[in-house]
Amino acid sequence: MRGVGQVLSLPVTLWLLVAFAAPMGVVVLLSLHEFPSPFGPVIQAPSLAQYGLILSDPFYLSVIAETVGLGLAVTAISAVLAYPLAFWLARMPSRWRALAFAVILIPLLTNVVVRSLGIILLLAPKGLLNSAIGLFGIAPFETMLFTHGAVIVALAQVFMPFMVLALYDSLQNTSPSVNEAAQSLGASPALRFLTVDLPLSLPGLRAGIIVVFLMASTSFVSATLLGGKQVWTIGMLILREAITNLNGAMASALALVMTLVCLLFIVMTTWVMNRFMGWRNGAPGTPVTLPAPLVAVIDIVGPWLSRVLLAISVGLLLLPLVLVCVQSFNDVPLATAAGFEGFTLHWYREVLVVGNYASAFWISVQLALVSIIIAIALALPAAFALARYPFAGRGLLLAFWMLPLTLPGVAIAVGMLKLLQVYVMIPAFAGLTAMHVVVILPFVITLLTTSVLTLDRAQEEAAESLGAPPLRRFVLITLPALTPGLFAAGIVGFLMSFGEVTVTSFLATARMTTLPVRIYSEATFALEPTAHAISALLIVITTLALALLGRFIRLDRLYAR
Amino acid sequence: MKFTRRSVTTMIGAGLAAPMHFVRPAHAQPKPGDELVVGIWGGAQEKIVREFIEPKLVDKFGCTVSYVLGGTLERRARAYAERGRPSFDVLYLNIFESRQAVADGVTQAPTPAVENFENLYPIAQKGGYGVAFNPCTVVYDRTKASAPITSWKDMWNPEWKGRIAWPEGLGTQGVSALMMTAKAWGGTEADFDLIVEKVNELKPFAAIQSSQAQLFEMFDQGICDLSVEFGSFTRTYAESRNPNIEIADPIEGQALAMNVACITEGTRNQVLAEEWINLHLSDEVMLAYAETIYYSPTTKSVVLPPELAAKVITGPQVDQLVDFDWDLINAKRVEWQARFDREIAR
Repeated sequence: MRGVGQVLSLPVTLWLLVAFAAPMGVVVLLSLHEFPSPFGPVIQAPSLAQYGLILSDPFYLSVIAETVGLGLAVTAISAVLAYPLAFWLARMPSRWRALAFAVILIPLLTNVVVRSLGIILLLAPKGLLNSAIGLFGIAPFETMLFTHGAVIVALAQVFMPFMVLALYDSLQNTSPSVNEAAQSLGASPALRFLTVDLPLSLPGLRAGIIVVFLMASTSFVSATLLGGKQVWTIGMLILREAITNLNGAMASALALVMTLVCLLFIVMTTWVMNRFMGWRNGAPGTPVTLPAPLVAVIDIVGPWLSRVLLAISVGLLLLPLVLVCVQSFNDVPLATAAGFEGFTLHWYREVLVVGNYASAFWISVQLALVSIIIAIALALPAAFALARYPFAGRGLLLAFWMLPLTLPGVAIAVGMLKLLQVYVMIPAFAGLTAMHVVVILPFVITLLTTSVLTLDRAQEEAAESLGAPPLRRFVLITLPALTPGLFAAGIVGFLMSFGEVTVTSFLATARMTTLPVRIYSEATFALEPTAHAISALLIVITTLALALLGRFIRLDRLYAR
Repeated sequence: MKFTRRSVTTMIGAGLAAPMHFVRPAHAQPKPGDELVVGIWGGAQEKIVREFIEPKLVDKFGCTVSYVLGGTLERRARAYAERGRPSFDVLYLNIFESRQAVADGVTQAPTPAVENFENLYPIAQKGGYGVAFNPCTVVYDRTKASAPITSWKDMWNPEWKGRIAWPEGLGTQGVSALMMTAKAWGGTEADFDLIVEKVNELKPFAAIQSSQAQLFEMFDQGICDLSVEFGSFTRTYAESRNPNIEIADPIEGQALAMNVACITEGTRNQVLAEEWINLHLSDEVMLAYAETIYYSPTTKSVVLPPELAAKVITGPQVDQLVDFDWDLINAKRVEWQARFDREIAR
């Protein structure tokens, strides 16, 4: 059917053209300014002066290289740690599965400053890790903090969940019969993972790699707090230029250079990964014979390695939970990772009774709900277009859809600030929703496309051959099969919107302040344990909601029942 | 070249805006239902102004008060984007942002139209209305010091080698540390070469700290023993978590830092904004700031209980606070931050 792909791609493209192309355009125009002029017009005679400054300054170039290196390391570690966890989730009895998702959501529900303090607690000279190895008589490592390693651990902790979500759907989608076939041929569990589950999960891995790399390379908070200026990222420089130096031109140019790097990364990743996914186009496999000694080693090491990695990833994800819970009852005026001074319920009283958090909380919930519903409604047709109805220019369109993820939030904010006079004419809630949908769309599109790609076409064909009309097929076959994907995309999108602070903090108005902006406004002044109490409450609420949700929706595939 | 041209642009902007200060239009009296929008930090400061200022203003004028919460950087970026057509009426900035904002025509220079203006110390009458002194000084672990620190130069005592967490760049703490380095070693704010040279003598640093929360964590974890930080927060930290931490009172003086209430250029609620600030400068609010977060009063009239007065800066101590040439620092900010990144931090 000609034209179906284009039609399905239309809604998301239109939304981005309305809500994202304008700030993006401003960023492009600003980057072409010869000199920064905070009050000057946006449109000026174009100049490549800012790009010239970047390309001729070894400092900027080295920071770009450093950012890419950091992004690659975070992506690699996330992938290694995410596989065992995603595998574990995919094999979990379906009634517990929704609840188990709480594990990977804990870092996303924890305030970023609190999370970073957790990493300090882990890696400090007198921290958890050194205390643990001290039990074995090993001398402490004094210099783990303020290194690239510390920043990589911190970023892996918060971005690994995205990798897990991307892998989870692919992994639990592997038909049991394929596994049984391998088993009947004598393959051990470790060997089955390497030869069956791993190759079949590559679409998920590709999505995860792209999302994690893009997020890691635009991040700046963890690098600032845990890098101690030993670690630099482009995100830090963009924030500095845009906000401290009021140099929108340089900030925009830096952001666009990073966007180009990210787009290049997407193209390369897609190209490389597709070479390993020949089976998707029906290309014949290229059988490899593993030497017997290698198989023996894999059989011995595999089970242990997967357990150790699972323990590490669960431990890393749960670390903030420990910190959050202990500190939320700590009787100290300024939050800390170390030392419990006494038990108090004061911070919960502050949050639940005294403070004005409730209104901000409800605004955040409404905003996140409306944003995720709109985002899924826009992204689902787009995902089908990408997965099933190829058309010319699809790659270019996908690049456009991914742009919001490659452009750091600060840069979007710079563009929005120039458009503020127009923006304030839109009702505050609608304006914030438009921006939140833009921010979460790339995630939702990526996750849903993977889900649609891994749908079992045979089931739909079977239904069709039995005479089911398209709508019936969609409701009875396709939609239930998509439930895990919709669930993952829904949760991620909801939490991304719920936690968004970079762009929102520039657009929040007196009557429309979200919870994260409120917490941020307090944390920039002095970090009180109220931030921990809020995180603890969010974790409890989310866990309860997931447990409840798990009773109503099935997160496994039809044929597993 | 880039920086010179930029500062020229700034100067032209300031020049164009300057005549505005001499024109004081007659302001409409507030009507019931008018809304005053205040941009301020969340947390303790928001609580104090809600408790002590808002009810009085509402009683007097029948107005409403709304708050935009956030850090100064976001507030300032918003105010600059909205210059002349502000969505804020009052906004709280730090010392160097406030002076730059007046020069850039974003906020108004202070005037005696605010009744309590005359009651302010002279250094609090610049760039807006100083509402709290919050000076920066050397803070350190006294158990690691061979003798109490009495001068900024004591940081160069070899016993601190490798134990200093230097404050990041040209933020408030960073500027204080850099400029006091110049003053302590016989230079002025303009001698940035001297500053880089002297600060580099202190290397290797234990770390570079970007926030109080981070610094206090470093003290807790034994990562560093000395830094430059706000005395106020450090006192709260020392009293609640770490009694070994000492707040030095160097002979060269502590570095002046200040929260400033600013009225935006183009506000439609001039009278409300002036009365808001007037209430902020009342003895009651000054006392609440000192009691809650150890911010020091900027008005001459307030009398603090002796035990509280000993913990903040009052009376003659105010004259010893070191103010810097902010016009110079603001003009050089971008250049110096770039040099800090490349020559000190990197």
